Amino acid sequence: MTSLYKFAAASLLFTFLPLAQAAGPVVVTDHVRGELLVHAPEGIRPGKTLWLGLAIDHQPHWHTYWKNPGDSGLATTLAWKLPAGFTAGEIAWPTPKKLPLGPLTNYGYENRVLLPVPVQVPAGFAGQELKIGLHAEWLVCKEICLPESGDFDITVPANAPVSASGALFSATRAATPVALEGATATARVDGKAIAVEVRGLAAAPQGDVQYFAEDIGVIDYAARVDQQWADGTLRLRVPLSPQRSESPTVLKAVLVAPGQPAGWTVSIPVEGPWPAIGAADPAPAPAAAVAPVPMPAAPAAPAADTSFVLSLLFAFLGGALLNLMPCVFPVLSLKIFSLVQHREERRKAVAGGMAYTAGVVLSFVALAGLLLALRAGGAELGWGFQLQSPPVVAGLAALFTLIGLNLAGVFEFGGVLPGALGGYRAKNPLVDDALSGALAVAVASPCTAPFMGAALGVALTEPAPQALAIFAVLGLGMAAPYLLVALVPALGRLLPRPGAWMVRFKVLMAFPMFATVVWLLWVLGQQTGIDAMAGMAGVLVALAFACWTIGAPAKSRGTKIAFAVAGGVVLAAAVHLAWPLLKAEPAGPAQASARSPGHWAPWSVEAVGQARAAGKPVFIDFTAAWCITCQFNKRTVLSDAQLLKDFGARDVVLLRADWTRRDPAITRELAQLGRSGVPVYVLLGPNHSQPPQVLSEVLTVEQVRTALGRIRPAS
Amino acid sequence: MKKMTAAAAILVAGLVTTGIAAAQATVGQPAPAFTGVDTAGKPVSLDSYKGKYVVLEWVNPDCPFVKKHYDSGNMPATQKHAAAKDVVWLSVSTSGNATNDPKVASSLNSWTKEKNATPTALVLDDGKIGHAYGAKTTPHMYLIDPAGKIVYAGAIDSKPSSNAADIAGSTNYVIQAIDEVKAGKAVSKPITQPYGCSVKYAS
Repeated sequence: MTSLYKFAAASLLFTFLPLAQAAGPVVVTDHVRGELLVHAPEGIRPGKTLWLGLAIDHQPHWHTYWKNPGDSGLATTLAWKLPAGFTAGEIAWPTPKKLPLGPLTNYGYENRVLLPVPVQVPAGFAGQELKIGLHAEWLVCKEICLPESGDFDITVPANAPVSASGALFSATRAATPVALEGATATARVDGKAIAVEVRGLAAAPQGDVQYFAEDIGVIDYAARVDQQWADGTLRLRVPLSPQRSESPTVLKAVLVAPGQPAGWTVSIPVEGPWPAIGAADPAPAPAAAVAPVPMPAAPAAPAADTSFVLSLLFAFLGGALLNLMPCVFPVLSLKIFSLVQHREERRKAVAGGMAYTAGVVLSFVALAGLLLALRAGGAELGWGFQLQSPPVVAGLAALFTLIGLNLAGVFEFGGVLPGALGGYRAKNPLVDDALSGALAVAVASPCTAPFMGAALGVALTEPAPQALAIFAVLGLGMAAPYLLVALVPALGRLLPRPGAWMVRFKVLMAFPMFATVVWLLWVLGQQTGIDAMAGMAGVLVALAFACWTIGAPAKSRGTKIAFAVAGGVVLAAAVHLAWPLLKAEPAGPAQASARSPGHWAPWSVEAVGQARAAGKPVFIDFTAAWCITCQFNKRTVLSDAQLLKDFGARDVVLLRADWTRRDPAITRELAQLGRSGVPVYVLLGPNHSQPPQVLSEVLTVEQVRTALGRIRPAS
Repeated sequence: MKKMTAAAAILVAGLVTTGIAAAQATVGQPAPAFTGVDTAGKPVSLDSYKGKYVVLEWVNPDCPFVKKHYDSGNMPATQKHAAAKDVVWLSVSTSGNATNDPKVASSLNSWTKEKNATPTALVLDDGKIGHAYGAKTTPHMYLIDPAGKIVYAGAIDSKPSSNAADIAGSTNYVIQAIDEVKAGKAVSKPITQPYGCSVKYAS
């Protein structure tokens, strides 16, 4: 019986052993699926780097560990078998997750992770193929832990590119922490914690920064890290482990800010001595002495309620003033026009006013909701983000061309829209009013009007309900003047009486629309270059032609159809030709800044640092091509000869931060100033203790000069 | 008003720091007192071993790292070494249902017998002892001196792995610490980083 049992066991062993050895690139265990992946998009060339990696797919809720596993666990290890001369580097560990487990915390990975390793191909490599072997060991845990291992092998051709896993490798690279240029950090032991200061992060993180210690045996992984952001410095208090076993002179850590899932690697030299390991704590000192050094107070934040109410007030005022901005004016004129038409029918006017208000408020809330959702997803966006996208700008240009052509009488909407829709629109003027509200918001959003900058900045740092409330009130403010005229007949009587002039006025209103189109094309040109701009202009001409073919009176049904087909074909051809141009790589930022007249240099964190290090004041113009207020200020105040002379006299370094296209660095800098849109004007003195002076959005020469007068010399 | 806030802050900070000190034992400090129940249902108290060196070992038979040191005979050998030097050995099993599930006690008993392990007692802990000592992993080792002070906390040995083959080339920190204190020397590595499975606290 026993021998039979032994025989069975031996047979089993022999059945499975060969299987385990003939590995291949995939090993499946009870809890993970491991796969050896190769990434060599240019083939395996002598002297080049090639990427290998182990991809681990975990069963749900199972995890493996980072290089520092935290309170328990074990890092995954990879042992490569490569031909002579090939040298495999260290694992480029992607940023891990904190995996809390009761009072303990681990650092590791769930779901799918790739552990990439760079491999140096020897200069003399001339093989036709490469045989790669890997022995990997990992500890996979849920409530229980299982040490698992796998032997993988794969043979890849040397000359052909291997890029099937390119997407996973590049996604992993994007999820791997990087050193932050220009960032410096220091630390010192302070009681039972280590006080860390990080300078040179671009902006205040919106929420808690996670601290992942690379050093084993120093910190208490599960403890809360207190943090404070002030004067461009992030201060952290990282509690030390009561069972600290190491006293490194340089701490290594990965910092992960919300919205920056990959995080940054930082090296933190420890200033001053570590207390001896295992030394008894000093005799209990008076409470005051052991109290942690208090963190500097948060930037002057008035009681939350007051600041929120104040934000709402500013939002309302800002919304009302938005009506005067050149972006909104063309749409507003349309509204006034319809108001004149309805002046005799008060009920209709009131209903229209309500519908317009609803359209404006809902559009603002929807746009803000989208922005918040995208930011929550990690995108670095600010207010006006939609105009940073060339297709959106192109779409708006087409829409405004259509409205202009309609006003000019080239065609009637009724003739274009399918019968049912046209009829619906005529029967539902309220829908029309609501849509024109949406249109007004679409064009108004890039104009950050006075009072609105601060309110929007606050809004985007508040929790979603408050943020959306601020945007809703902003919409109410914008719709208020129109609603007021609709509600108060006395105001309505001030408007001119309807008559034949209205036809002429309607055509006249086509011109502000076309002017808006010119502006949008200019914005598009800044974003994508002159080719795309010309392409879009061609599309607009085709669009005008198509409108004309539809609107033109035709004798027979056949002619009408032929006309419409011709228009459609021309439009389709134009769009087909222009589309690739719109998607073309945007011109480099240098090009945009190179056009800046005068002494303006492109902004960067380094440029600011250099100027201040040299003891010079810095003036920063945060601007964008699609921001009309910015353009107005740029052409008037910031081009003022006397002011430029004053700048020169004080040796002010002038920097221009162009936000026409998406630029995360600028978005972060704006966030640090508590803003989320442009324009923003900032004057920094050479004295670091002097807070930055943020000037108003509607700039005056006098204001800038007063600010210049307040600059204190470097201390 | 400002003064009052400052005073309150200092008070709170003081409370928090004392709270932490009480919550997490460490080397150089008094070992937290405890009275637990062993697998036979008898009370086990740290106080009753005053005057002796005591080893605390966090154990969990299901953990591969614990298996590594028991299946290879390393942990039973360490226990025998301790016993030969008159050192008390308490194996502590922390789990959410340790104290009221009779199966836990009986399976621990039969498992230690099977592995030829000879701890002084097997202590069942519902988490209080583990929390007091800041026990993180199985195994996690502590050595307490006759005065009731912790002199060693950390790993069983110097090679954090689950592979029994690594035991041969590693330093057994518990044997090293016992030998050092018995020779009247200070422990050369008083704190190391424990490795293994996480202690199963009820969450």
